[in-house]
Amino acid sequence: MTDLDIHPALLPAGFEDVLPPAADIEARTIEALMDGFARHGYQRVKPPLLEFEETLLSGSGAAMAEQTFRLMDPESQLMMGLRADTTPQIARIAATRLAAAARPLRLSYAGQCLLVRGTQLAPERQMAQAGIELIGFDGPEADAEAILVAASALASVGIERISVDLTLPPLVPSLLEHAALSAPAAARLAIALDRKDAAGIAAEAGPLAALLLALLAAAGPADAGLDLLAATAMPAESRLLIDRLAATVHAIRARTPGLILTIDPIEFRGYRYHTGVSASLYAPGRQGELGRGGRYVSNEGEPATGMTLYPDIIQRIARRPILRRRLYLPAGSDPAWGERFRAEGYATIAGLAPVANAAAEARRLDCEAYVAGGSITPIGDQ
Amino acid sequence: MSVLTRDQKLSSAFDRPVVLALPKGRILRECGPLLARAGIHPEPDYADEDSRHMRFPTDHPDLDVIRVRSFDVATFVAFGAAEIGICGSDVLMEFDYPEIYAPLDLGIGGCRVSVAEPQDHAGKTDFSRLSRVRVASKYPNITKKHFATRGIQAEIVALNGAMELAPGLGLSRLIVDLVATGSTLRANDLVETEVIAQVTSRLIVNRTALKTRPEAIKIWIDRFREALA
Repeated sequence: MTDLDIHPALLPAGFEDVLPPAADIEARTIEALMDGFARHGYQRVKPPLLEFEETLLSGSGAAMAEQTFRLMDPESQLMMGLRADTTPQIARIAATRLAAAARPLRLSYAGQCLLVRGTQLAPERQMAQAGIELIGFDGPEADAEAILVAASALASVGIERISVDLTLPPLVPSLLEHAALSAPAAARLAIALDRKDAAGIAAEAGPLAALLLALLAAAGPADAGLDLLAATAMPAESRLLIDRLAATVHAIRARTPGLILTIDPIEFRGYRYHTGVSASLYAPGRQGELGRGGRYVSNEGEPATGMTLYPDIIQRIARRPILRRRLYLPAGSDPAWGERFRAEGYATIAGLAPVANAAAEARRLDCEAYVAGGSITPIGDQ
Repeated sequence: MSVLTRDQKLSSAFDRPVVLALPKGRILRECGPLLARAGIHPEPDYADEDSRHMRFPTDHPDLDVIRVRSFDVATFVAFGAAEIGICGSDVLMEFDYPEIYAPLDLGIGGCRVSVAEPQDHAGKTDFSRLSRVRVASKYPNITKKHFATRGIQAEIVALNGAMELAPGLGLSRLIVDLVATGSTLRANDLVETEVIAQVTSRLIVNRTALKTRPEAIKIWIDRFREALA
């Protein structure tokens, strides 16, 4: 890369320009999701893109440190971080500027995040997030609400058929901690658990093997899995977590009986700061999660839960929003005509200079019709 | 004003047959009896390496088989192009795809990933004094990780075959390769000096598929589990 000029279109890995009409579709999809949150009383906040590293990466944000871009603030001489996740910012707002606001506090947000590294499967390093946080209430009703509000927002953009995978990220780490395995054995076991490698679990888990294999077998449809877990002996601490999972399933079923629910008690991957019942949302048959979230401890030790949706994935399968139809308005048209058609929902494309053939000009500018004598004239096929 | 209209089919993959990816070559031959015990009978063509077909129906309308290079099995499954696959643990170690679950050790395709060096030099190098070493391998990640744990940077010469030629012709000091019987090493005056990992074939599953189609996927995992018993 010495004498090579960078092509003017080349962007750094994982970044893209979003063009018409995709950018419009994305914006409308995000607004529809936000409207879905608002219908359940979640109020929008807007944290900044940048804040001091010390506040951004404190508390629940610490887990995002390795994915956070940093730069120095020449003004204060302090390091700043570009958010890689919005939840820690909402936690900060809830604990500081909104400390006196009534609990439970229901907040929503939408914005872009930047990641230091993409993965081979998801190489993007800029991602949109639209999400909710429910802060100040610890109970299965809150866990269920966050998931169902996210599901309802997805339904509002036409994604009615989703499946929810419920997980307990703290379960496996707490079991491993009490098993007193050597550090390398614990690391090997963590990998085997992460890969759902039954042979590896059996080989590495020692006295824990029977319980871990039962947890592995319980992964799948929620009701069958919970029955299996109910019949499995486990330490009291684990039982508490499983009971909470069962209560959350019950709370979801009571409100939305039709939702496809699976459980995966040994899953802990990618849940960075979660301390209780968590969930990933999928569209059956589609790769990639539509969103994820779960219970965490907010700043100042407040109980909280939330769900983050990923609009970049969602818009690929969401119902396509109606965009304004494009109408060519020749130069010299009565301004009142344009006013009228815009009010009817058209986008008017104003001619800036007279043209001989309005139909041809309309076609060239990607319009489906033009205005002649105050009425809409289709350009026809040609 | 975003009234939503156009209905889109939610998913194409949801109702399609489950796709099982099988690796070409040695492991494919060992797969045959296992598939039969699992009650899976692909179109006979699948075992014919000269066949130009790559996708084969089975006696189950909801299961198709594809045949790809062993390294590609992991990639097909990681991206969800195939829901399940049979793949050596060497490939899983090399790619380390987080989207792949490996629920079953199938106990076939046994071999090992090993370090080998020329007979004449074997045992004469004090590796604790080295900062760097040049290694020919098709496993750059495994090799780098292995040497990094002993404080050595491995400089990889990426080859896809004929690794055994590299030390003799001065391309690299060592090789890291799959060793089954060791006869290829011996024939090229190389000696296996260290086993990095024992290798067997695993049944692998795409993570999202297992979560969103648990019933459809678990049927096949259970069949393979029973076939092993």
